[in-house]
Amino acid sequence: MRRGMKIMPLDNSLQAALVQANAEKGSFRVNRAAYKSREVFEREKKLIFEKCWLYLGHGTELKKKGDFASRRVGGRDIIFIRDRNDQVAAFYNSCTHRGAKICREHNGNARTFACPYHGWVFNSEGKLVSQNASSGYVENLNADGHLDLLPVPRLEHYRDFYFLNYNQKAISLHDYLAGARDAIDAICDQTEDKQIILAGEHSYSVRANYKFMAENSYDGYHLLPVHASFFDHLRDQYAGTSAAHVVDETIASYNTRGAVRGLGMGHAVLDSYVPTGRPVAQWLPSMGAALKPEIEAKYARLVERFGKERADYIAETQKNLVIFPNLVINDILSTTVRYVEPEGPDMMRITAWALGPNDESPALRAMRLDNFVSFLGPAGFGSPDDIEMLEICQTALEHTPIEWNEISKGMAPGGDRRTIAGAPDDEIQMQAYWTQWDLIMRGIETLET
Amino acid sequence: MPSILTRTEAEDFLFHEAELLDDWRMPEWAALYTEGALYEVTSPASPDPVASNAANSLFLISDHIDRIRGRANRLMKKSAHAEFPRSKTRHLVTNVRIVGEEDGGTRLRANIAVYRTKEDTSTVFMGEAWYTIVNEGGTLKIHRKRIILDLNSLYNQGRLTIIL
Ligand code: FES
Ligand SMILES: [Fe+2]
Repeated sequence: MRRGMKIMPLDNSLQAALVQANAEKGSFRVNRAAYKSREVFEREKKLIFEKCWLYLGHGTELKKKGDFASRRVGGRDIIFIRDRNDQVAAFYNSCTHRGAKICREHNGNARTFACPYHGWVFNSEGKLVSQNASSGYVENLNADGHLDLLPVPRLEHYRDFYFLNYNQKAISLHDYLAGARDAIDAICDQTEDKQIILAGEHSYSVRANYKFMAENSYDGYHLLPVHASFFDHLRDQYAGTSAAHVVDETIASYNTRGAVRGLGMGHAVLDSYVPTGRPVAQWLPSMGAALKPEIEAKYARLVERFGKERADYIAETQKNLVIFPNLVINDILSTTVRYVEPEGPDMMRITAWALGPNDESPALRAMRLDNFVSFLGPAGFGSPDDIEMLEICQTALEHTPIEWNEISKGMAPGGDRRTIAGAPDDEIQMQAYWTQWDLIMRGIETLET
Repeated sequence: MPSILTRTEAEDFLFHEAELLDDWRMPEWAALYTEGALYEVTSPASPDPVASNAANSLFLISDHIDRIRGRANRLMKKSAHAEFPRSKTRHLVTNVRIVGEEDGGTRLRANIAVYRTKEDTSTVFMGEAWYTIVNEGGTLKIHRKRIILDLNSLYNQGRLTIIL
């Protein structure tokens, strides 16, 4: 049994001041304490990270029975495992005897976990199978199972994206994801097979508040100022091809096509058009003629399956999806699943994977991965410049007395700010995020049944 | 020049590459690479970084010549925000071993430590470099360079915005 969760009493006088929406003035602003205060962070640990569904991992990372990965999610160490009955499970990574970390490997395959300290052994379902002692214990000490590895209170998945929740009474993952389910569908439906996590991962740190990463990940407004050097590179790549004008044309029309859309519950997506080409299913000359037939066939099949409108959305639209509070799925020139683990008000750890259809050809897979590292990740031509922005925001707001961040671009006069849509370079996706954050932090949105 | 380099010849060349990088002479660095070149940094979490292939697993860097040049050019710009102001770097290249011949060139491995200082933060990228160096009409060029970092993540380094 999980011990009762103690919620700190809300200091509404502080909280009330953190997020302010003033429709008359067209102003939406967030107090900078929300990004830097230790007190706010401690309260987020209880109210955000112990109440929200948090991403744990993808089912395809655990291919065989006994495959496991150790993860830190919401500050807690978890063993993510496919047990011997092919069930995906999640246990706290601590021995029920006297506490030792049971699993010290990043990932692997195991039939049992033997605790290195006194030799207790647990099977892949978490059952205690040996206490490594011939005497001293009463029989049936574990009759009620309290010495088995402790499972997390809730573990559910949507289309193989596994999330956990530390609150037993939480609403279902299905209800929590709300409109984000459709955004996930648009990514999963790229293939009739399944989307899988590809080999390799990127893991790195950013010295900034985790909410800055959420904001940046679907921010259309920053695209041109921050990524000018990437677009320079694309122009060089496309020079002399039939796509030579694509870069400037797409940039010029950026805020006339697509949208940012609040999806409910604090989730939002940026749908935009960026001239990078997409493995599913938008061919550009820079990808090479050899790939053209496969990409075009994929597009044709999407039209057959979903009709032209949905097929165009799946194929051509770049989707930057943030699932509240800390999962990013960017389906852009390649697809990344990016988990953001907060480590303090000013520090986060990122783990990012590449996602791709199981049934794509080796050549298309290679192109997908090449696209990924061209822009994404800690050594690409894009993400490091984003990270630099997050870090200079963090350091500046910690060392200046300015109180507010202004997040009002595209602000609508009224309505539920969690479900409003606007232009791709608006900031209403962030308003959706902060509105949900504020409702949870005030205890108004409990996320419970 | 014989097709296989001596260790001293190889070291002179690698030291020259390191000097170009530490002096931030990036276009000259890119000019050291062949048209068919590959500059790679494997993912620190890779279980088998020597054999791994960027065509089917995620690397940190996998640059063909276009992106080698692109990387060099980008680092010369103020709009490469992550490297503005520029880092200070120091490339140490040691334990050079000639291991054989590949693609008509010299296959070698070396230990590397690259120190990077950005503002008040200094980090080190340590690991091993695998090179194939070819002789193109009397000019030595890099045909393959793969860096395998002795890291499990970039947690301490944050990101990799310099060239190793
Ligand atoms: S702490 Fe695990 S067996 Fe004692
Ligand atoms: Fe960005």
